[in-house]
This record gives sequence, structure tokens and C-alpha cells, in this order.
Amino acid sequence: MTINTVIAVIALVLIVFFAIRYIWKEKKRGTKCIGCPVAGNCHDYEGCGTSRTPHKRVEKMTFGE
Amino acid sequence: MRIAFAGNPNSGKTTMYNALTGRSEKVGNWGGVTVGMKEYPIKAEYTGGTEAIAVDLPGAYSMSPFTPEEGITSEYVRDEHPDAIVNIVDATNLSRSLFFTTQLLELGIPVVVALNKDDINEKEGTKIDEKALSQKLNCPVIKTTAIEQKGLKDVIAAAVELNGKNQKAPYLQADIDLHDKNAVDAEDRKRFDYVNGLVKDVEVRAVKSSETTKSDKVDAILTNPIIGIIIFAAVMFGVFWVSQTWLGPLVADWLVGYIEMFQEWVASQLEATPLLSTIIADGIVGGVGAVVGFLPLVMIMYFLIALLEDCGYMARVSAVMDPIFKRVGLSGKSVIPIIIGTGCGVPAIMACRTIRDERERRATAMLTTFIPCGAKIPVIALFAGAFFNGAAWVSTISYFLGLALIFLGALLVKAVTGYKYRKSFFIMEFPKYKAPSLGFAFKSMMERAKAYIVKAATIILICNLVVQLMQTYNWQFQVVEEGMENTSILATIASPFAFLLIPLGFGAWQLAAAAITGFIAKENVVGTLAVCYGLTSFIDTEELALTGGANQVAAAMGLTTVSALAYLFFNLYTPPCFAAIGSMNSEMKSRGWLWSAIGLQLCTGYSVAFLVNQFGTLFTTGSFAPGFIPGLIAIALMVLVVVLISRKIRAHFDEEYSLHQAAKASKA
Repeated sequence: MTINTVIAVIALVLIVFFAIRYIWKEKKRGTKCIGCPVAGNCHDYEGCGTSRTPHKRVEKMTFGE
Repeated sequence: MRIAFAGNPNSGKTTMYNALTGRSEKVGNWGGVTVGMKEYPIKAEYTGGTEAIAVDLPGAYSMSPFTPEEGITSEYVRDEHPDAIVNIVDATNLSRSLFFTTQLLELGIPVVVALNKDDINEKEGTKIDEKALSQKLNCPVIKTTAIEQKGLKDVIAAAVELNGKNQKAPYLQADIDLHDKNAVDAEDRKRFDYVNGLVKDVEVRAVKSSETTKSDKVDAILTNPIIGIIIFAAVMFGVFWVSQTWLGPLVADWLVGYIEMFQEWVASQLEATPLLSTIIADGIVGGVGAVVGFLPLVMIMYFLIALLEDCGYMARVSAVMDPIFKRVGLSGKSVIPIIIGTGCGVPAIMACRTIRDERERRATAMLTTFIPCGAKIPVIALFAGAFFNGAAWVSTISYFLGLALIFLGALLVKAVTGYKYRKSFFIMEFPKYKAPSLGFAFKSMMERAKAYIVKAATIILICNLVVQLMQTYNWQFQVVEEGMENTSILATIASPFAFLLIPLGFGAWQLAAAAITGFIAKENVVGTLAVCYGLTSFIDTEELALTGGANQVAAAMGLTTVSALAYLFFNLYTPPCFAAIGSMNSEMKSRGWLWSAIGLQLCTGYSVAFLVNQFGTLFTTGSFAPGFIPGLIAIALMVLVVVLISRKIRAHFDEEYSLHQAAKASKA
């Protein structure tokens, strides 16, 4: 196995790992369409709790971000 | 403390919210862009150290909600008790805005009125005495220009100062029976009279509303039912010509050249391990590169659309479309989701909640994705470049055919559900004409570019990798030998679907596989074709067209020019990606409507592709293409299903509404 092959395998594993991790994180955050620049507008007004339990959501926020 | 930002649609709430929080939520110069609530801490520089959260609410004209998103606003300010309300008032239209203000002042929560768009008032010579208005309303009134971040610090300082205090209402609604419509109407009229009296005392206008201005004259042309549509078609043709025929490919050549160089370099580095070379160079770099290669076209198109939106033209397009939409059984407001849909289907479907009538809302959500979204641009550009010499008419036809399918689909839904024409009103304020901001257009373009790259580097990359692996291995997980590609996992999965597509002119398993992966993300169609056919080797980087012309490509892909167009339309008008289908599900809130939507889109995509292929082939060769009869039978079956569904719905409709039958049933 050449050094090029080793680097390629490592790069492939890292790229796939970070891509899957990004998709996983976004889905966990409730993003419906990954990468969509207006995804912030897509709140489910009856499902995700943005309108029903706003206080609970905001309490988790940190200031000065 | 929590500060709610409430006001009429298009008064500048989200612009102010973005300025105060540093966020970049979608803004627009028409009402209904914000359909959900958003919240974020306000920057310390505005609050002077006090911890404050800004809550951006959808626009509302009154506390009595007509649409779901107006309900969010009234429900929040009434039930969640924010510490202060910043009421953003469109200072260019004071009398209309203050109706809602007087209602907010009755809640007892301290209110700060931000007289926004003050810059426009200055230009037009409209003067508002904010001190007098403040005295009459019993609350601070501050002039602001949110877009230039003027007056925002004063607004927040006033809101912070009022924290914990009570609000005294200048006008109190009489104690009436709220179930009595006449009493409510009379009370609303009294409030309007009160507001008009207020405005008369505090506002001096240089230009009376009744005067005909230059802007009105231009509006008369742009919103003319016939000339307006012709102008719209010409404008969109210009957008597609610049983005996909002239400037776009010019920039794309340069980018594709570098992608190819990189792909060749990766392949050369991995010569010793052909399998790894295939997976990385052909699968990942080739597949993702094919999608990224179209990035300049997408960027330029969104830059031009942002310019059109910012100068106020797109709002006029809505007025042109409004009567047509109403005639086919949709709402005038259906225009907004459709315009948003040129970017992404998911927010477009979400925007349907601004439509009050449930049937119209569901029908719009069902049909709006017929307008090609940004993810479909690479597919259009690839086929236009490969088979039609990059002609701009391919894009123009794709968009206008999408519009026509929305109208036809709406008529079909109207016929199936037995819906009668209903007079409805769509009020849209036209933004003032202005020179478009290059900064706004650039920002909009970069947001799209970022989104495109993120998607390409995540979903598209993983999909292409999976497609490449499925194409490389057979079910025994052995590498497929050359000439035995039909035994690969991908080929065996896609082949049964390919069989169904023979009447449409593209029965190859590679094309079926690309169409299937397109349901994950439409860009995958290009990526999968690139992986399956090694498409980048066909692309001439000088011209961004496939080398050898349509014949050579036809030999490789098994497509003629006609069947290529059919394949393009099939991908554009079949159901959108899974994310958009998920959004349809959450907006429609009905399994029946959702499955009908998916069925309608599948049938539409199939029928359009069938008609284009069969009649296109008949026109070019003098005889129908293979599979004409089976395709015709398939379409006849689709029609039969629609008729049966229609009958079932109508029967149910009669059962539900016939008093005579209800009485019979109760007796029994």
C-alpha cells in the first residue's frame, strides 16, 4: 500500500465522516432542507413547539453569541 | 427581558430583527415572507448590557387572525406576555397600521411604536409629528429606518426602560358580544374612525394618495393582464439567457476546467489502486464536481432574481398572476409560494400557510413544486447545454410549463373536489420602485452559493459515493467486471423502473437510477449521471457542452434530442425531493391530500414526458416512439383513477351536506 493510498483512504473516511456528522446535526436541529438559506423560516407552527413553548426554547439560549 | 416585534405585513419587522440580532433571516419587499416565529438575543450594543431577546412575529393586520401565521402573532402577544412590544409601523401608511397599534395598546403590555421607513417619508415630503402621536397613544414613538439601522438604539432603550410598567390604552373597545358580527363590524368602524382622526392630527402629506404618480403609470403597464405577462416572459427569458447562455457558462468554463484538472490529478495519484481511484476520482470528485460545475449559473440567476425582487418588479408579477390564480381555484396569495419556490420548494410549501382557505392552501402546497427550484437548475442547464446548444428557451419553457401545469393541476383539483368559484380578495402592497441594491443581490447570491456548496459537500457527496459503490459491486459484493455493468446492485435495482420508462423514451437503468436518486436531492440527477456515464469526460470545458454533439451523447446515454427533453421534464415535474414531500405532509395535515399530491405529480411527470417523447418523435421521424400503446394504457389508467377518486369525493360531499339524507339517516 503506497503513501498516496493511505492518504486517500484517510481523506475519504474523514470527508464521509464529516458529511454524515453535518447531516445528522442538521436533522437533529430540525432543518428540513439541508443547506437551504431560508431554512430558518420553516418553523412548524403546530409541531416543533416554536409557537407553543417559546420560553422553554429560549431559556436554553446563551447570550452574547 | 423578552421584546416582541409585531406589526403589519411588510412593515420591516424582520429587517429590524436582523439588524438587532445580527441574524440573516429571509426578508422581502412584500408581505408574508415571515410565516413562523423567530427569537434571538439582541446585541449588547443596543441593550446597554440588559439581557433581551427579540421575538420576530409574522405580520398581522389585527388581533383577530385570518390566517394561521396571523394566529401565531395574536396568540403570542396575548398569551405569552412579552415584557414589551415593539410595534413596527409602516410610516408611509399610517392610517392602516395604527388599527393594529391601538389593539396592541389595549393589552396592558408596554408598547414602543417604531415609525419605520422614515427615509421614504422624507423623500416624499410626508411629515409625521411623532411627539403629538406619542402623547395621543400614551407610548414612545420613535422614527426609524431599519434598513439603514437608524433609530434602533432608541427603540430598544425605550423598550428596556418600560420593562415592568403598565400600558395605558388610548382607545378601549366597547364591551360587545363578540359573537355578534354586526356589533364587531360596528366596533371596528369606530376604531378606524378614531385612527383616521389621529392621523389627520399628526400627519401632513405633500403627495396625496389620490394623485396619479409616475409609479402608478408604470404599474398600469406592468400589471396589465396581457402586456404584463408578455413583459414577465421577456424578463425571465433575459434572466435565463444571461445566467445560462451567456455569462453563466463563461464563468462555469473556468470552474469546470479546474474541477477536471483536480479529478485527473486525483486519478493519477491513485493509479496503483484502481478501485479507490474509481470511488474517489469518479464517484466523489466526478459526481460532486459535475454538480458544483453549475454553481456559477445558479449564482448568476439568483443575483438577477434578487435585483428584480429588490427593485419592486416581482411584487407586480404577483398582481398579474392574481386573477389567473383565482380563476383556476387557487388563492391570489398562491403567487408568493410559487415565487419562493424558484429558490427552494420547502420554504415555498411552508409559505402556503398564509392562505386562509384550507382547500386553496392544500392545493397550492400540492402544486407549487412544479416551478423548478434551484436544485433543478443544474439538471436544466446540463440538458440545455448537451442537447440544445445551451439555448435559453429550454429554461424559459421549463418555468412557464411549470406555471401552466400549476394552472392545469389547479383546475383538475377544482374539478375533482367539486369546488365552485369563490370570490376572494388578495391585497398586496406594491413596494416603491427603487434602484436595486447590488449589495442585497450579492448577499442573496452568496447565501444561495453557500447553500449549494453545503448540499454538494454533504448530501450529494454521500449519495454519489453510495451510487458509485452500488455501481461498482454486485450482490455478491464482488467488483463488477467491464461489460458486466448490468449485474451491479444499482443496475438490478433500477432496471425494473427503467422498464416502466420505455414509453417515455429513456429505458436505460442509468437514467432510471439518476431519476430515483433525484428524490433525495434533485442535483443528484446530474451527479448520478456523471457517475454512471463518466459524464465529465463528455463535457467540453471550453463551451460547457457535451463533446460530439447530441448523436455521440445519444449513443452513450441512449437518448435522442426529443427523449432528452422528455427526461428533463420527467425530472422537473415528478414529485420533489423527500424534504419537500415532508413539508407537504406537515402543511396539508391530511394523508389523503398528501398521497393525492404525490400521485398527481407522478402522473403529471409521466404524462408530460410521454407526450413530449411520443409526439416529438412523431414530428421528427414520422412514427411514434417504442412503447406508445403501453404508455397510452398507463395514462388511461391514471385518468380512470382520477375519475374514481373524484366520484368518491363527490359522493362523500353529498352525504356530508345533504340535509335530506342526514334527516333520513337520523330517523333510521
